[in-house]
Amino acid sequence: MPKSLTIDPHEARQRSLLRAPDIPVNTYLSDPGAEAERFSSAELVNVYHDMRLIREFELVLDGFKKAGSYRGIQYNHLGPAHLSIGQEAAAVGQCIHLGPEDFILGSHRSHGEILAKGLSAIRALEDDCLLDIMENYMGGAALRVVESIDDFSDIESLAQAYLIYGTYAEIFARATGFNRGMGGSMHTFFPPFGIMPNNAIVGGSADIALGMALFKRINRKRGIVIANIGDSSVASGPVWEAMNFAAMDQYHTLWDADLGGAPPILFNFMNNFYGMGGQPQGETLGFGMLARVGLGVNAAAMHSERVDGYDPLAVADATRRKKEVLLAGQGPAMLDVITYRYSGHSPSDASSYRAKDEVEMWREQDAIRGFGSYLCANGHADNSWLESIEDAIVDKITGIVATAVDLDRSPRLHVAKDEIGTMMFSNERADALDDRGPEVTQPRAESRFEVTSSKHRFGLDEGGKPFPKLKTLTYAEAIFEAMLHRFYQDPTMIAFGEENRDWGGAFGAYRGLTEAIPYHRLFNTPISEAAIVGAAVGYALAGGRAVPELMYCDFMGRAGDEIFNQMAKWQAMSANALRMPLVLRVSVGMKYGAQHSQDWSSLVAHIPGLKVYFPATAYDAKGMLNQALRGTDPVVFFESQRLYSQPETLFAGGVPLEYYEIEEGEPYLHRPGSDITIVTIGAALYRALEAADRLRTEHGLSAEVIDARFLNPLNYEPIVQSLRKTGKLLLASDASERGSFLHTMASNISQLAFDFLDGPVAVLGARNWITPPAELDESFFPGADWMIDIIHERLLPLPGYQPRTRQGVAEIMTRNRAGI
Amino acid sequence: MPQAIVMPKLGNTVESAIILTWHVGVGDPVETGETLCEIETDKATVEVESSASGILLARFFEAGDEVPVMQNIAIVGREGESFDLLSPVSAAPAEHVTPGESYDHSDGKPDEEVFISPRARNLAARKGIDYNEIEGTGPDGRIIERDIRALIDQGVKMSPVAKAMLESGEYQIADERAVDKRITKSDLTPSSPAASPELKAIPLTGVRRTIAKRMLESLQTTAQLTLNASADATSLQDFRARLKSSDDALGLRGVTINDLLLFAVARTLPAFPELNALYVNDRILKHSRVHLGLAVDTPRGLLVPVIRGADALSLRALSYEAKRLADACRSGDIMPDELAGGSFTVTNLGGLGIESFTPILNPPQVGILGIGSINLKPVERDGAVAHVAHIGLSLTVNHQVVDGAPAARFLAQLCKNIASIDLLLAL
Repeated sequence: MPKSLTIDPHEARQRSLLRAPDIPVNTYLSDPGAEAERFSSAELVNVYHDMRLIREFELVLDGFKKAGSYRGIQYNHLGPAHLSIGQEAAAVGQCIHLGPEDFILGSHRSHGEILAKGLSAIRALEDDCLLDIMENYMGGAALRVVESIDDFSDIESLAQAYLIYGTYAEIFARATGFNRGMGGSMHTFFPPFGIMPNNAIVGGSADIALGMALFKRINRKRGIVIANIGDSSVASGPVWEAMNFAAMDQYHTLWDADLGGAPPILFNFMNNFYGMGGQPQGETLGFGMLARVGLGVNAAAMHSERVDGYDPLAVADATRRKKEVLLAGQGPAMLDVITYRYSGHSPSDASSYRAKDEVEMWREQDAIRGFGSYLCANGHADNSWLESIEDAIVDKITGIVATAVDLDRSPRLHVAKDEIGTMMFSNERADALDDRGPEVTQPRAESRFEVTSSKHRFGLDEGGKPFPKLKTLTYAEAIFEAMLHRFYQDPTMIAFGEENRDWGGAFGAYRGLTEAIPYHRLFNTPISEAAIVGAAVGYALAGGRAVPELMYCDFMGRAGDEIFNQMAKWQAMSANALRMPLVLRVSVGMKYGAQHSQDWSSLVAHIPGLKVYFPATAYDAKGMLNQALRGTDPVVFFESQRLYSQPETLFAGGVPLEYYEIEEGEPYLHRPGSDITIVTIGAALYRALEAADRLRTEHGLSAEVIDARFLNPLNYEPIVQSLRKTGKLLLASDASERGSFLHTMASNISQLAFDFLDGPVAVLGARNWITPPAELDESFFPGADWMIDIIHERLLPLPGYQPRTRQGVAEIMTRNRAGI
Repeated sequence: MPQAIVMPKLGNTVESAIILTWHVGVGDPVETGETLCEIETDKATVEVESSASGILLARFFEAGDEVPVMQNIAIVGREGESFDLLSPVSAAPAEHVTPGESYDHSDGKPDEEVFISPRARNLAARKGIDYNEIEGTGPDGRIIERDIRALIDQGVKMSPVAKAMLESGEYQIADERAVDKRITKSDLTPSSPAASPELKAIPLTGVRRTIAKRMLESLQTTAQLTLNASADATSLQDFRARLKSSDDALGLRGVTINDLLLFAVARTLPAFPELNALYVNDRILKHSRVHLGLAVDTPRGLLVPVIRGADALSLRALSYEAKRLADACRSGDIMPDELAGGSFTVTNLGGLGIESFTPILNPPQVGILGIGSINLKPVERDGAVAHVAHIGLSLTVNHQVVDGAPAARFLAQLCKNIASIDLLLAL
């Protein structure tokens, strides 16, 4: 909480009434005369064209899924096809007033939105700009194919065919698709036209869209961002978190006024009245009308209103007005756009949850037919013209679909060449993601770096005695130095999370940054872990560098989808069209019981697409964070609360003042030895060193101690080399043993070094219990005693040694049988 | 019920014994207490008596076999009784572990399987080491690298077959053999001596084998220093003459020169505790009593019985005990425990005319006194040369823990005490 904002008890305790604004419901009145003034006939006919094209586009998919054919073209489409037949007006109306610089993000049911936005952008972009995009996107792969289909008379026509082909090819998993087939039906997108990721997780686009809106506001970019999400998603946590995050007061009270206010985001609920088969209105939720939800978020009620999504011009009008509000910095905005899908949730949907009559009633009000009648009635077109438009669309689509299903002209990826593997990470290095100078509030030399740079860089004096802690650089301060460096290098870099600013991060790593970095680059968020990570994902995808923080590793569960499905996936799902320069700092707790002391590094290491770092010393903390902050990949950066106050005591040179990076994936050999190897992850390193000392003095054994430092990527070579020498390996960390990443390491090493092994690889983790109170720490986390005991029991019986704890292999059987 | 006869455990340190001869054949009737066979440990020969009456149903080992103690060696019972379960081979039927039964890891290793780590296996293969007969020191007896290293450090690597052939004495290692390669059957040729009718190969067994081992160990593991001196034997001889002519009722006539010397050593040692000591695991254990080892020549080889508390015995008691032990050694009736626990040893070759020699220590003892023959020695007496009888003394000490000067001081005091043995007896 910033000191500048006072909570006055007199004010807080004042008796009063809260009054809410009215929520407009379907207030748009069609006025053909006014509409003819606002739009040319050609523009209005385009609305019809676009709706009709979307309808035909999806009829193709409907035909393939239900009958395996469309107009004589046979195709068996294996993947999903969530159709929006019936919802076309809501999609097309939204894009009438959008420019290419405006972003839309969608859901699993977004084919219509993709095409509407694409068609709108094509009309707005100049020919040479369009050509440039098509030539350069994915090396022009889709353009080559499209050019072979027809002699297109003009660039706009070519670009439309390109849009249709690229989308089909993507849905059919072709290497020529917009995302080389890696996105598919539910994730097709095309950033050059402002079509950003569509998300198959319900509501998944909300917080990502917020992140993109933050990117636009913080980096002073043009345009707004629209999250097209379903009506039932409003009840999902991340959507609610994103709406509140988007409505924070600080955009107006604390951020520089010249930035322009709140992030320009429109939460656009495509309200088709069904969440799969459940009915939010009347059955599964209680809002009565979705638009009411805006009342719960801020005083402006998110400028919420219900709009008739069966009138494209009503949708266009509402979207235009919201866009004005957003550009004025008064967001967030919310629209409850009512619409209806005639098709089921998916091809397998038998529509058992709704009456046929209901579908028929909506069909009778079909928006495309209705808008056609409107055009004819008001002299913008006649029936034959509309028919000729329809014929042209069918012809065009038929030719494109035939090409898109043809495996010779539209091949799939060469999976044998590991092409998907090479997409998982971008592995690029970038000092800055924009050319402009960084916005800071202090010269770097006057920042707290002045204090940290004057401290001892190594924790021990020449005699091996520790320097006073306050005069020695700590692990937390090493993190500060790496953050500070990148803040002054990369103008796009922002950091946020709970208590990140005045508090300096819950554990003080950001102490001093508050004075150096302006609000919009370092800010406190609501306690909304999902939106913290989700917003960072959106910010990174939009082109900025984001450093969100989770105060405790245990809170990762609150951001599960954002870490596992969003942060990890989008680089590969975009076929590397997008980057994910995101470093998620996660603090592993201690002494705080069962919900604040867990090391979950194994969970993220399991998820493909994430890099996982875990430094155990101040030197590594700075060097590894420097490495992460210059990359373009998503990194989960674990820190340990056991270590924040620790100075560097292992790397003899201490923590360098100047910039340096630790090579990614390289374990570090802290102590050479010849009899046994101990490899650790995280703070267990220090207990391994203690065990090594005792093995030497009490048992005459020489133990080699290696800190893995990285979970992914990880170079196993140094560990295998060590085993060539010792033949015996103990792996240890503070993560609970069952399912620990150590077991992955053990399995890999057993295969890589089988012939060198003098015993099975021993894995030592924390117990498979709840973390007990701090007073019982020793019963739960592996200590030096346990390490020596397990060596004695499983690898190398020590003559005359009496183990203090039970670590024999029989324990594996007993504990697993009991499930603990 | 058939009754198993087990190989007895003859003393705390005995782990196995060799069957010398069987006195009873299979099918013969036996009575409780009847001698079934004679066995020999590294220290003694003992008779094994039947603990039951009946028919000898089976003998599991032949003469010459070395059998671990407490192992069944024979069965006594009634004609026709089944004794399969008592046979040493089937005594521990393998337990079959079936899925679902509780699994005790420590017992899960079938006898015939050898568990060895990949690393140890590779090392053994590279160095030509056979690991089938060794006990692993890894968890649950797994053979690990250090076990193979220990075998390598022991020296020659050979196959079990080659080892048995070499031990038979009828084969030797061929000269043209690849160095650093494991010795197998193909590397052996018949020993040329055995091929000659003039030579007879006798494998070392029992006492001889123990002597062979311990003598070599003694020289390999200690730093032996021998000091020679001689003591005036005039009083010794005079006193011996008086004993010999004493009243028979006193029981002193059998006291020998050697007994007198044992007495002198037993009474001199308490003043020199550094010599009446053991050197074990880098520690010196000084004895408060003198347990005097006495080297006895027997047909089976050298035995060293121990006279316990020799420093407290009268000359007569000492003499009796020495005689009893020596007789028991020669007759083979000595008990294994009577052959252990000495703190210092005396060995006498004087009776065979040897003037001086270098006795070999009996570790962990740190001193051994060798006694030579009595000879005339020219000495200056009242300005003239006189020839006085002197007895040769050769003291070997372990220089690791006993230096030359203290050893010399002990020897000098011993010479003085021998020269005035009559006075020593009065103390």
